[in-house]
Amino acid sequence: MNRETLRDAPDGAETLDAMPALQIKGLNVWFNSARDRKHATESHVVRGIDLAIAAGERVGLVGESGCGKTTTILAAMGLLPASASVSGEVILDGRNIIADGESGIQPHRWRDIAMVFQGAMSAFNPVKTIGWQIQEALQFHDIASGAAAASRVVQLLGMVGLAEQDAQSFPHQLSGGMKQRAMIAMALACNPKVLLADEPTTALDVVVQDQILKLLVRLSEELNLALILVTHDLGVVAQTCTRAAVMLEGEIVEAGVVDDLYRRPQHPYTRSLFEATPNLADSRQGAEEVGTATGHLLEVTDVRTIYAGHRRVRKGATQTAAVDGVSLHVDQGEMVALVGQSGCGKTTTLHNIMGMLPVNEGSITINAQEVTTLTPRQWRALRRDVQMIYQDPYESLDVRFRVSDTVQEPLLIHRIGNSQAERMDMVNAALRDVGLAPEDYAQRYPHELSGGQRQRVAIAASLVLRPKLLLADEPVSMLDVSVRTGILELLDRLRHEHQVGILMITHDLSTAAKYADRIIVMREGRVVETGEPWQIIHAPRTDYTRQLIESVPSPDPRSRHVVE
Amino acid sequence: MTGPEAGKASAARRRSAWSGVGAALTRPAAIIGLGIIGFFLVLSIFAQWIQPYSSSTPSCGVFDPPSPAHWLGCDDGGIDVLSLVIQGGQVSMFVGFTSAGMAIIIGSIFGILSGYFGGWIDTVLMRITDYFIVIPQIVLMIVVAAVWGPSLSHVIIVIGALLWTSTARVIRAQVKTLRERTYIHRVESLGAGHLRIIWRHIVPQLAPLLIANAVLAVTVAIFNETALAFLGLSDPTAVTWGTIMEHAFDRNAISAGAWWAIVPAGLCVAAVIVGAYLWGTSIEDALNPRLRISYLSARSWRLRPLVGRGPDAL
Amino acid sequence: MHLGGYVWKRSVFAIVTIFVALSFNFVLFRVLPGSAVSSLARVPHASAELKHALEAQFGLDKPVWEQYFLYLRELLHGNLGVSFANRQPVSANLLEAFGNTLPLVATGTVIAIVLGIATGIYSAVRRGTVGETVSTNLAVLFYAFPTQFLGMMLLILFAGYLPSVGMSDPFAVGFSPGEQFVDVLRHLILPVTTLILTLYAENTLIVRSAMLETLGEDYILTARAKGLPLRRIISSYALRNAMLPIVTQVALTLGSIVTGAILIEVIFSWPGIGRALYSAVLSRDYPMLQGGFLVVTVTVVLLNYLADLLYYRLDPRLTR
Repeated sequence: MNRETLRDAPDGAETLDAMPALQIKGLNVWFNSARDRKHATESHVVRGIDLAIAAGERVGLVGESGCGKTTTILAAMGLLPASASVSGEVILDGRNIIADGESGIQPHRWRDIAMVFQGAMSAFNPVKTIGWQIQEALQFHDIASGAAAASRVVQLLGMVGLAEQDAQSFPHQLSGGMKQRAMIAMALACNPKVLLADEPTTALDVVVQDQILKLLVRLSEELNLALILVTHDLGVVAQTCTRAAVMLEGEIVEAGVVDDLYRRPQHPYTRSLFEATPNLADSRQGAEEVGTATGHLLEVTDVRTIYAGHRRVRKGATQTAAVDGVSLHVDQGEMVALVGQSGCGKTTTLHNIMGMLPVNEGSITINAQEVTTLTPRQWRALRRDVQMIYQDPYESLDVRFRVSDTVQEPLLIHRIGNSQAERMDMVNAALRDVGLAPEDYAQRYPHELSGGQRQRVAIAASLVLRPKLLLADEPVSMLDVSVRTGILELLDRLRHEHQVGILMITHDLSTAAKYADRIIVMREGRVVETGEPWQIIHAPRTDYTRQLIESVPSPDPRSRHVVE
Repeated sequence: MTGPEAGKASAARRRSAWSGVGAALTRPAAIIGLGIIGFFLVLSIFAQWIQPYSSSTPSCGVFDPPSPAHWLGCDDGGIDVLSLVIQGGQVSMFVGFTSAGMAIIIGSIFGILSGYFGGWIDTVLMRITDYFIVIPQIVLMIVVAAVWGPSLSHVIIVIGALLWTSTARVIRAQVKTLRERTYIHRVESLGAGHLRIIWRHIVPQLAPLLIANAVLAVTVAIFNETALAFLGLSDPTAVTWGTIMEHAFDRNAISAGAWWAIVPAGLCVAAVIVGAYLWGTSIEDALNPRLRISYLSARSWRLRPLVGRGPDAL
Repeated sequence: MHLGGYVWKRSVFAIVTIFVALSFNFVLFRVLPGSAVSSLARVPHASAELKHALEAQFGLDKPVWEQYFLYLRELLHGNLGVSFANRQPVSANLLEAFGNTLPLVATGTVIAIVLGIATGIYSAVRRGTVGETVSTNLAVLFYAFPTQFLGMMLLILFAGYLPSVGMSDPFAVGFSPGEQFVDVLRHLILPVTTLILTLYAENTLIVRSAMLETLGEDYILTARAKGLPLRRIISSYALRNAMLPIVTQVALTLGSIVTGAILIEVIFSWPGIGRALYSAVLSRDYPMLQGGFLVVTVTVVLLNYLADLLYYRLDPRLTR
């Protein structure tokens, strides 16, 4: 699939009625990695992209990490580093604005094309107020100055749902969602025709994500703004965009109306992406019966944890409990999902169970053994039975250890196995268990592995101890969509084959619904609802769960929100 | 939670401390730096056999200018300057390396303990470090040398005992970030002890940083030695680059126009420091991922003209 | 952090540090074995009354802890003892020397900071160009030269054209105030130049690396996307944020400023505090040495404190 086929296909440009607000034609970007001049290698990152967008239209640019989607929009703004070289056209008002290099784009920046960045956290100058930064854009582009500029700032903040006094705030005083709103307000300061949004909601919570997406849709409709939304999340595109282009390795492999992409994907890659994107509609019905003969494997009863952030606790005035009266249990061979927004206390609960964070009240038993009163030394022996899987596979392995060393380390720590040969047998068995052939992978270093493979190694390093309980902290959220399924299927198989109990933290309700036996919804340190997936999704008992469900972007464009 | 894209973008930050250092060490700056240090090390080790004349008994006239027999001329006592400088290098380098070694050991112990354990250990150790930082080193050295008398070992001890503060801070910051890395958490949750975590997982990651720090500490130590020597606080009988310059200044080499009694020692100090600086900063730069990205540069991206059409156009 | 918490913490720290320095000074000179310098009263060629007065003031016959409190009491009254060398009160000697050091160090440091910021910004923004290579390597070179070496080189090169000894012409009797001022200025040129050359290099390297770090921040990309001109991005975004590490790190170079000042005063016979310390060492004038150590330490601690306050002003994250 290449440019030839795309030209013949009824791609976006031809379906437009009006003249496009922005048109990208045959865009190519190369990066020169000049580590040293002799061995300069060139990588062709964007390969002949064609994309057009009309005023008031919203187009999604979708792809997995490294596919060149961010590079594409940076190229359109002329924001590429010096190591890049570009060919093609970016047409705005009938003129190719990149024809004269960076200086040619300069006058169009922010006035005609504005941008919202992925990391709203660090996109603001930390030492200036939000108002100052918005006003600066107005003044430099001669839109307004003085009192007029100040009132325009207030108006802009109002448009994105921020209060007047937020103009006086410094970036660090705003939450992630508020910062992203402020960023959008700043982007709209000069009435641009086109807004480029690079993963605008990636770092945000589902509920906040939903709000920001709705805001973007509303603004694009009200202001007749052309919006290009770059994202890896097909759900986000399905819920906000009219058309989308799917990128793979620098090329657009398929483009068209979102509904067509979902219902009739032409390219196998598009199909696999949609298949891998979890959908609430796929929730499991009825949990299997699991043996509970020996009582609960893990039982958490009325746990309360006060965050001893600083010395505040002693003063007593501002005691906030991160976890407040949480009870839950996990049985052998069972997978329980703990779902909630960030800051709801789900990670704290996990750390409590791991003994990494002391519990103020309540009890936690693992295999009927009370663990809240254990000393660090006593805990160490118990760690054989309780293992944790971490969120970030790029981070969770020591990069200097070969795969076999990483998997063998737990054995050495717990002095298991009498000889190197015996330990290597266990290591190989664990690697086979997670689907990695020892002969191919045992001697590799982490940087020679993909994200999914790294996560498998981390799981093998837990599995080698034959644990009874696995705690998984967002095990797939850092992975590309297409490899998530594999890891989740692996966990699912482990609990069946080895009767491991799994407690999985996730912010993603659809993943939980698909794989868990039970879902526990947490909010502000409390459990709001517990139930089987089907019941939680289709008959939520609390408003909060309903709100959470409604916030999950469905990959099906027609079901703007799966309910009922 | 950050998306896969973010994971990729910051993957550079997550790589081993060692990756990139290898490439950095093949840059011209690092090679020149290493060459200079190596040259002076060899010179110091073989000083006895290399010096053409004695560095203690006269071999020519007072302030004789450079000549084919005495390449760098003679000092006020008729001693060959080239021999003096070679001999002085040996002692200066020894002082530099031993006191830097001392500083690195104290600094890394402070840094690792306070970065790894945090809490009150961190507070106490860093408060101590803070006090040592504000003491003006040279003045303390003057006082110590004046009270206990000038000697090389005092110079080494005082330099070493005050130089560790910056190492402690740098190492602490690094250990603190390493401590929060997931792989450390994972090993901890496997049940590994502190000693194992520090020794197997943290120290190896610190090594390049420690090397860079040690090299930079050598420069400061040599620098301080020359300053102390110039104030007459080093061992008056020892020949170091510092005492050579002090001696020349004291014996009016300037008014005698005998620049050759001063310049060689000064240039040697400068050369060693440039060498160590180039090498040390090459490692440091390679370790600092933030220096790899710059959103503002003197050059801009290029526009590539499209030659022809069709698939072979690229 | 609640309002003023930072300022309060730094203030306490400064006071405690000064106190520690005072006590350290006492211990170093009187308590440590081998420091047979305890008799402050052993002023050479002093009259019997002076000796008795000093013994009484500092309680030299009393136990150590009592001596310590007497020492602190006398310190509060500005009594640092009497110089062995000229039998004048140490405080009077130091005050005069401090007054002479101030113009030298202040002008040198200020010019070196301004120059260092300018070349540092240039080196960071023009990274990878020939100009940057020259400017950075020049800074490395000057960073590498020992101060006394630079001073002596300037002496050799310019001794015939510019005054090289002391702070005024000893034969300039009957100069008008204007002429005296010009005379002092002429005497300042060589020592100040030496100080600038030593300090500017370190500042350049500090500013350069701080700037390079901020240039990789996301807000620089935002500023470019906003269509702001280069100058604006450098001043309000890159430099403004780089100022935070710069302030901290430049404050840490106070030690090298002190070192530089001492060496320079020795080389150019500048009658300042550094030279006073130097001659105190040579003539074993312990009261002067103690006093000088105290003055320099307290000054450095206070300047560090000022840097802390400046940092507080610059970083809104500490205030709000």
